[in-house]
Amino acid sequence: MLGFSNLSLSNFLFWATQKRWFIYAIIIGIILILLPHPQGLSDQAYTSIVILITALILIIKEPIPLPAIAIYILLTQIYGGIDSADGIAKAFMNDAVFFIMGSLMLAVVIIRQGWDSRIALGILKITGNKTSNIVFGFLSISAILSSFIGEHTVAAIMLPIGMTLIRFTSSDTEKVKNLAAVILFSIAYGCLIGSVGTPSGGGRNVIMINYFNQSGLSLSYFEWMKNMYPFVLIQIPIVTWIIINTFKPEYKILDSSVRKLVIKVAKSRSMTGRNTITVMIFILIIIGWIFFSERFGLGTIALTGVFLYILGGFVRWNDLNKHTHWGVIILFGATISLGTSIRSTGAALWLADQVIILFGSMMEMFPFFSDLIVILITTTMANILSSSATVAVLGPITMKLVPDMMHIGLVTAASSAFGYFTAVAAPACTIVYSSGMIKSNDFLRLGWRIGLVSILLLIVYVNTYWRFIN
Amino acid sequence: MKILIAIGSKQYSKSTLNLGMKVAQAFNAKTTIIDVGEKISEFSSQLVELAQDQMESWDFDPPGVDVLEWAFNYLSDNSLIDSKQIETGFPKNRLIDDGEDRKLVYLSGTVCEDVNLILRNGDIISELREEVQYGGYDVTIVGKSQKRNMSHDLLQYINSSILVVNQYNNEKFNRVLLPIDDSPGSMKAAKYGIRVALAYNIGIDIFTVIDNGVSTEDDSLKVSKILKLIRRSGVDHTYLEEEGDPVEKIIEKANDDKIIVMRASTMSPIKRYFKGSKPLSVMNKCNVPILIVK
Repeated sequence: MLGFSNLSLSNFLFWATQKRWFIYAIIIGIILILLPHPQGLSDQAYTSIVILITALILIIKEPIPLPAIAIYILLTQIYGGIDSADGIAKAFMNDAVFFIMGSLMLAVVIIRQGWDSRIALGILKITGNKTSNIVFGFLSISAILSSFIGEHTVAAIMLPIGMTLIRFTSSDTEKVKNLAAVILFSIAYGCLIGSVGTPSGGGRNVIMINYFNQSGLSLSYFEWMKNMYPFVLIQIPIVTWIIINTFKPEYKILDSSVRKLVIKVAKSRSMTGRNTITVMIFILIIIGWIFFSERFGLGTIALTGVFLYILGGFVRWNDLNKHTHWGVIILFGATISLGTSIRSTGAALWLADQVIILFGSMMEMFPFFSDLIVILITTTMANILSSSATVAVLGPITMKLVPDMMHIGLVTAASSAFGYFTAVAAPACTIVYSSGMIKSNDFLRLGWRIGLVSILLLIVYVNTYWRFIN
Repeated sequence: MKILIAIGSKQYSKSTLNLGMKVAQAFNAKTTIIDVGEKISEFSSQLVELAQDQMESWDFDPPGVDVLEWAFNYLSDNSLIDSKQIETGFPKNRLIDDGEDRKLVYLSGTVCEDVNLILRNGDIISELREEVQYGGYDVTIVGKSQKRNMSHDLLQYINSSILVVNQYNNEKFNRVLLPIDDSPGSMKAAKYGIRVALAYNIGIDIFTVIDNGVSTEDDSLKVSKILKLIRRSGVDHTYLEEEGDPVEKIIEKANDDKIIVMRASTMSPIKRYFKGSKPLSVMNKCNVPILIVK
């Protein structure tokens, strides 16, 4: 055909099949651009919504590498006349992107410091050998640590501890299927629950703080904790109970496996002076986040920690470079710049207006209805998209929904952590799923219960506790 | 000759490995056994890698190593690899990361040339396609997948002959079914059919389906050349000419006790993509192993 060999035609078809979602996205984008614009929406605002739709398709289906999606978002904004190249570039790099970069780099340093052994001993000392207590211990520690460090780091630290306990109970995986599920889910969901506790718990929290700042609002580290941490603490026992009752573990007592784990940990290398210094630097980072983040930004402080680790020779640049996913960082920068464009062009306001037109009467009648709408949309998107990307694109829209931007912004950030339904919703879930001990169906089996409870709990929480403290 | 055997799990891949190694033996082929692990979202891929590094420090193997170990044990149990390697056991700690997102183990075969074990992660079709291009394999052997479009994608995009194992029972198979026509591919299919028949010490049922009831002199000449080749190979064979729908006839003849060996479609890739092909229809409908020769 037209001089093309069968091999080149076959190669082209393969390319087209692999990139079909990119082709669909472009076709949808072109059709939408050619359609008449809705009334009350400027050309720039309409274009930014079309870019948002096509970018979401690309992020969900990943037909092209993440950095290519980021470049697509940046280029289409410039060629689409939304802003100048300089304007887009300014929105691309900010403190939230610094934080995501710093957080991914800190993970590389922290994971290699042997904290896992100490944590294992700590948990088992407190919980003893009763399975339900151990699950509670895993979930609590994962939640508390991930509220400061970042869920992916905690999941990577906790996974080998959990897996070792499972292996010591039985090497036949069929005999410990439910035990594996309760321990591994307690790690994954503990990480998700904790990640909303403080601004440093996840990139999405920092993105939301960034949007607050752009809207002239300010929320300190302490204020965020005052608003969000009780929600973390309330969820811990409830989620533990749901996990244990969904997957009834085969063993109620893990006596010998706990003993074996303690012996293994005791035999492992002891903490060195260098390990202690890394802990001290990390404590300094947390102190910096708590007391100086309003002034310098969370990202700047995270990068200061990374700088100190490199300076002290605690991590090699090659290691950081190898394990830091630059594509993810660039993509988050691009989605934040798109979120900023959606806000500045008036598209966010228009989209929020459409929601109000649809549900306005319900929102007036039931004050919690706007919370419910935001939680449902955010939870849905967070389960098929990355949670940070969800907040980056939804934040500017949800903040226009109700007058109290702080309230709805925090609700958006909190519900973006409800990635319970799929194995790919959050890095913590993907990490435990990669162990091969739990199936993707298990996420849905457990996820809908915890998701439903968390949604109801959040609505009650924000409409009672927040009213009480604010 | 180079053969690629794709396995996926201990539970479902035994028949694929059984038949695959038998074919490899028949062709005295350089053989590679590959396990393609699940694709990880790019968002988490590097974090998962970091977590797996951490798991290794607690003596846990990366996902997929257990499948390679199982394949190694299969090769050991059937004495298909060098006895020295059997003694040293599965070289878990000597998996070579070749920097191309592949982990490798090199082994020396006994009944066939070198046997390699490879671990990759990602989309199965992309990974197999890349591996076939990279290694220049002649035949790719896979189990039947429940996934829709898998057969289509295999035939369309993998640039080697494809053997889909389906339901394979070593003791049950008594004949090779070789549907032929006047196309040049039929001769190559016949050569493959002879090798398989010799490996299993079974006969070949050759048959031609005349679509419109008319057979030209030229057709007969090409078919007779194939028959001559098979006769000379000394393999027991029968020949039959039938009229009707080729796909239906092949499935009917295959019953549940034959291995089908047939040529790939000669249609252009574009036509094949939209219209499908006879080999694809046979592959989708039959339950016996089928080797599509490209």
